[in-house]
Amino acid sequence: MKFKGVLVFLLLLLIVLTVNYSQQPINLRVAWWGSQTRHNQTLEVIKLFEKRYPNIKITPEYTSWSDYWTKLNTQAAAGNLPDVIQHDYQYITEWVNRGLLLPLDDFVKDNVINLKDVATNYIKPGIVNSRLYGINLGVNALGLVYDPELFKQAGFPLPKNDWTWEEFKNTVIQIKKKLCIYGVEGFTGQIECFKIWLIENGEWLYSQDGKSIGFSKDTFVKWWKMMLDIENAGAAPDVTVDVSRTGLGVEDQFIVKKKSAMSLAWSNQLIAISKAAGRPLKMVLFPRLDKKSKSGTYLKASMFFSIYSRTRYPKEAAMFIDFFTNNLDAHKIMKAERGVPISSRVQTFLKPYIEASQKEAFAFVRLAEKEGSPTPPPDIPKHAEISNNVIAPIWEQIRYKKIGLEEAYDTLKKEAEKILNR
Amino acid sequence: MRLSKKKRSNILAGYFFISPWIIGFLAFILFPLVASFLLSFTKYDVLSTPKFIGFDNWYRMFFEDRRFYNALRATLKYVVFAVPFRLLFAFIVALVLNLSEHKIIRLYRAIYYVPSLVGGSVAVAVMWKQIFGMDGLVNYILQNILGYSEKIMWLGDPRFAIWTLILLAMWQFGSPMLIFLAGLKQIPVELYEAASIDGAGFWRQIFKITLPLLSPVIFFNLVMQTIGGFMVFTQAYIITGGAPLDTTLFYALYVYQKAFRDYDMGYASAMAWFLLVVVAVVTFILFKTSKKWVYYEAGEVK
Repeated sequence: MKFKGVLVFLLLLLIVLTVNYSQQPINLRVAWWGSQTRHNQTLEVIKLFEKRYPNIKITPEYTSWSDYWTKLNTQAAAGNLPDVIQHDYQYITEWVNRGLLLPLDDFVKDNVINLKDVATNYIKPGIVNSRLYGINLGVNALGLVYDPELFKQAGFPLPKNDWTWEEFKNTVIQIKKKLCIYGVEGFTGQIECFKIWLIENGEWLYSQDGKSIGFSKDTFVKWWKMMLDIENAGAAPDVTVDVSRTGLGVEDQFIVKKKSAMSLAWSNQLIAISKAAGRPLKMVLFPRLDKKSKSGTYLKASMFFSIYSRTRYPKEAAMFIDFFTNNLDAHKIMKAERGVPISSRVQTFLKPYIEASQKEAFAFVRLAEKEGSPTPPPDIPKHAEISNNVIAPIWEQIRYKKIGLEEAYDTLKKEAEKILNR
Repeated sequence: MRLSKKKRSNILAGYFFISPWIIGFLAFILFPLVASFLLSFTKYDVLSTPKFIGFDNWYRMFFEDRRFYNALRATLKYVVFAVPFRLLFAFIVALVLNLSEHKIIRLYRAIYYVPSLVGGSVAVAVMWKQIFGMDGLVNYILQNILGYSEKIMWLGDPRFAIWTLILLAMWQFGSPMLIFLAGLKQIPVELYEAASIDGAGFWRQIFKITLPLLSPVIFFNLVMQTIGGFMVFTQAYIITGGAPLDTTLFYALYVYQKAFRDYDMGYASAMAWFLLVVVAVVTFILFKTSKKWVYYEAGEVK
């Protein structure tokens, strides 16, 4: 008798559990990378979303940028990806080609994801193979942050948005001579700066078919001559300084400590840098080849939200992305931390809530849109490997003066093309 | 021959009790070993299925990859300098701690062991990075106390960067020190007494008694530390990231970069297997030479 009793009890337990299970709320996993500020803000937005849709529960998965892709790739291999994935311009094409992401066109058509207030320019970066795979979370532009105070001290006019490389070079070297501080930091070894130089010269890192290097020796040598002139004059941190200072936070940047007049930064970083510096900083476009040509500064989608192709809840995932794009309260929390919001309605709404440095960042993005260059194509899948194993090591050799510029170009071309054609 | 029921159940029980080890060995050592050997002949980027490409990875590694040789060079340099330095340091400290049996010595033993407990950890690496950083402690002392005018970029200068890591390795002498200390305690006191009666000085005692009797322990430490030295990773990963000019690009770090930054798992597997071969060969050579200098007490000679 006792045995039967136990059996009945177990059966009942099973039924209760099953019923309970089927009533469980929908569970969405959302993954992103970022700083602590972003983690806190995003978690708050998630709370807001859960309040609005009580039947949906969200499990956040967040890390720093470097751990993020290791984790995602492992999850992808295990077939266990989160439902909503923060994605990057650099990797999205590769992921689409592997069938890991869900096309979002139908959700946009059915208005689950409302993009009515969004300019097509802001939607375009998320389109791969003529279908939409990522919703742009904010717009950024790369430029130079400068400290007006230091320019005044040096007796220089503030940099103008139509300045040329010649003027740029003279300015940083003169600042070094007058104030004994760096003219610019974080600039000379940056591949992103070189990309902008290439855009201005009408070239690109790779050829159209992605089988060879797309820039000429002449463009390469001219760029490096200028960079080395700046470094040799002491107007930018020496390579040994840059290498021994990797991984430092915003508050350690030279511009924050008044040891550099300018610094390279994405527009959304201006907010953090100004905050650390505790004084108003401004942004200026990249220099141009001459007064008639355009600046190479371009708009970039800071990041996307994409949906895993095998998600169990595609519609709910899309609803989350829509909430992130359009909800005004959510944006009041995030304050354009991921870049200028793509919805014009949100942009107007945010105006009274943002601080001076954010206004400057917004204005800079508008300026880049008007006077800058069109957005270049996304990096080809092999770019990461080439950049890590060929470009970066050779650039280091150039800066340590272990290799001549002509030879550097030849080696770079040879080694990169070997990888491209593998 | 059939085993009796009891004997059989005895054997089963035996296997049952060591099953955690067997399962661990099969799942976490043997399987990855075989799998990575097979993967080394494939192109595998984690996301798609592995594709067989024959010896391509191996060919690329030996004939096309400059950085592979940079990594090999950096690792060898590290092993050649860090291991002897660490052993020497550990030996000296063990000698000093062996001098007296005072209570305080026991405390010191524990204290000196702490760096190697926390040594492989991220926290110490971060601290090291601060100490040798541009505005770190070392430069502060150089400038403000020794009156040096210029800052030295310890981590940015190709001449110095690897030495900061070797110094860190030296500082983590705790575990070989403990083993040395245990070995020193095994040496009979009578030998020293007899030697000092015969008029042998301190150095003579060290070279004629301590070192020969300690040689099996030295050998054990040498082998373990050499193997550990080849696998050094955390320090370079956190402190230098392989820079400058690949002078601190340790082999394990490069394998990691290939695997988890470039997602070139096949290539990383080939590299890992080559390291296994190198370590095996080096260990074999050490064992061969050990016959010449390792002294086992009479009757135990192998």
